[in-house]
Amino acid sequence: MNAFTTNQSPQPLLSVENIQTFIGQFHILEGVSLTVPANSITVMLGRNGAGKTTTLKSILGLTPPREGRVVFDGMEIQGKRAFNIANLGIGYVPENRAIFRQLSVMENLKLAERKRGDLEQHADFIFDLFPDLKRLYKLPGNHLSGGQQQMLAVARALVPDNKLLLIDEPSEGLAPILIQQMMEAIRKLSATTTVLLVEQNFIMASQLAQRYTIIDDGKSVHSGLMQDLAQNEELVHEYLGASVRTAKSGGEQ
Amino acid sequence: MKFAWKKILPIGAAIIMVLLLIAWGWTGLGTASFVRTTLSGLTLGSLFFMVAAGLTLIFGLMDVLNFAHGAMFMLGAYMGWQFYTNPTFIFGISPLIFAFASGLMLLPLIKPALIRWEINSKLQQNLPRIAYALALLMIFFAFNQLDIMGLADTAMVAITTTTADNPLAELSAQEPLLRFWVRPALMLVSGALIAFATAKPGDKTEFAVAEKTTQKWIIVAALFVATVLLTAFREALPETVLLMNGNLRFFLAMIVAVLFGLVFGGIIEITLIRPLYQRATFIVLMTLGLSFVIREVVQVLWDPLAYQMVRPPFFAQPGKAETVLEWFRNGNSTLNIFGVTFPTYRLFIIALGLVMFIFITLLMTRTRLGMIIRAGVQDPEMVEALGINVRQVFTFVFALGIAMAALGGIGAAPFIPVQPLMGDQFQMQGFITVVLGGMGSYVGAFIGALTLGLARAFGDYFALKLSLSPAIAEASTVIIMIIVLLIRPSGLFGKKE
Ligand SMILES: Nc1ncnc2c1ncn2[C@@H]1O[C@H](COP(=O)(O)OP(=O)(O)OP(=O)(O)O)[C@@H](O)[C@H]1O
Ligand SMILES: [Mg+2]
Repeated sequence: MNAFTTNQSPQPLLSVENIQTFIGQFHILEGVSLTVPANSITVMLGRNGAGKTTTLKSILGLTPPREGRVVFDGMEIQGKRAFNIANLGIGYVPENRAIFRQLSVMENLKLAERKRGDLEQHADFIFDLFPDLKRLYKLPGNHLSGGQQQMLAVARALVPDNKLLLIDEPSEGLAPILIQQMMEAIRKLSATTTVLLVEQNFIMASQLAQRYTIIDDGKSVHSGLMQDLAQNEELVHEYLGASVRTAKSGGEQ
Repeated sequence: MKFAWKKILPIGAAIIMVLLLIAWGWTGLGTASFVRTTLSGLTLGSLFFMVAAGLTLIFGLMDVLNFAHGAMFMLGAYMGWQFYTNPTFIFGISPLIFAFASGLMLLPLIKPALIRWEINSKLQQNLPRIAYALALLMIFFAFNQLDIMGLADTAMVAITTTTADNPLAELSAQEPLLRFWVRPALMLVSGALIAFATAKPGDKTEFAVAEKTTQKWIIVAALFVATVLLTAFREALPETVLLMNGNLRFFLAMIVAVLFGLVFGGIIEITLIRPLYQRATFIVLMTLGLSFVIREVVQVLWDPLAYQMVRPPFFAQPGKAETVLEWFRNGNSTLNIFGVTFPTYRLFIIALGLVMFIFITLLMTRTRLGMIIRAGVQDPEMVEALGINVRQVFTFVFALGIAMAALGGIGAAPFIPVQPLMGDQFQMQGFITVVLGGMGSYVGAFIGALTLGLARAFGDYFALKLSLSPAIAEASTVIIMIIVLLIRPSGLFGKKE
């Protein structure tokens, strides 16, 4: 669809400006900046332990940044409580999926409602993306396979009206066929929702995203249009290491 | 369906074992002793459950071991007992508490406007300090020379007549209303001042939206009206309550204990526990200290004496009822069950425990709040990320746990002496119950409490019969706990982790 058009509106939906985040006494983020234009997919790339997950958590207020600014939809949100930030319209799909094991699939989705009727309103859309969930509706969360959990985690973020989705490594640990399905789902949902994606699978990232930001060692080091990055082998090699081989061989191993 | 067997097998085995135990006990002890001992055990178990339920909910969600739970059980007993026998103290203090609360409840209403207030940083720093100082000063004057000890003493005046025109006639008169009304007024303003200070006026980093404002205004208005009424009728109310039907009065006493527990628990969570969530050991020390403070305050007010609360009339009529119907008609103190004469009030305790168990089950399985609690036990961070105010849920669950302990306290009051240490034994048994049933599982707490209660009762029976030391019965609960933990280290219904 709009894979090659980039929305350069003057005011991005989300902009992160030079945030510094500490976990305990560890200085994890030492200056991350990125912008997410509305109606697009932006991908965050970087090695393991670079600070991608921490960046998402800092945006959401789960690990609040000590310095810097986070502006969402024209409002400064750094320092606010996480539930307040989420209620502004941000959905979160964490890297460990965080499915509630004691709750059924239905209850997991119900819990994500911000107002009554959210789930009913979006049920068709959700089951269109992930038909499997319909079959699993009554099953407890601890009976789901990894792939099913991942689908539920994404579905959960679609229950309320969200303006922005923070999705952390949706392809991690999925079989190739499921990766395809997940990619398709993210592409479809991005038609209505802006996405900030963390993805190690370079193929998936390059096919989905319009923009990228590279995080390295707790700092954002590069950002731009995805189509430029795909051509810039040097950059990919420098910061993403192993990812470049994945990109060239075109497989998942 | 492999998993089904894994679940059914232990439960089936347990049921068979229980049935065997029953058969063996029945034939061995004879019907009368068996029924009496079983019912006694269920009574104890029911009380254990009322303490353990709150402990396990609070631990499951927040990882907090509340060592003040027994003290709160005791406070619930005192509040209910006072309301039942002589509520002068409660009604004498409540105008001040309600006035303070109605001022404090302005917080969510004024906060959205206050944080957008343009003031310079110096003022922003100092305004809250000034407000706090003023509020403390006002609280001091509100309580200054209020005859609290005198009010507390009223509880020791046993009101035995229920037919007298004014059961409180012999008590000395309280401060005239013309002078008294200043106290709640001061408390109202100080509550509002504290709301003002905690709203952090001018602090741009704070966040608050004005939502459900009508609802919040209604709460403030309701509290204010309650304050006015309680102030105006503070001397007439105790009399009215005492002239009420005793059963109704007891029912109200239970409600008073529950409300007290909710409010007290909420305040404790917000002011003392919330700042310490990152430091679990500090919470243990803090709650332990709190239990001593509560006990000392109670001893100062009501002396370290043991009071025996009279049973409500529904359980007080001397004589044995042959059938349940007869009991309901006459309100007998004992009932014939399978040839055993058993106190009806103990049956009420069993029923109360059962009602509480059903309430928790419905809450956890049928409501959104229960869903949030079950999810929060596993991953509070993710619950927060969904847009749910987890801190508020913590406060509510803590308050609910305390309310259940307080209800247990007033439930126990007509059964065991009301005294400052009455909660300690129940807290001990409550902790054992929680460990036995599996930390965080309310079903486990229920089964565990009944098991321990029965073990205790049968232990007592055999100790008496075989003329062993009664310590055997007390040790039996610990022995059961050790055996269960050896077989299932995470308790009967605990999650393996
Ligand atoms: N709770 C914590 N305590 C201490 N250090 C932490 C904690 N959480 C994360 N870190 C450190 O912060 C750094 C960034 O972690 P983060 O999870 O954000 O990386 P990531 O880019 O998401 O990695 P991955 O691709 O493996 O998911 C890592 O070096 C990690 O060790
Ligand atoms: Mg990560």
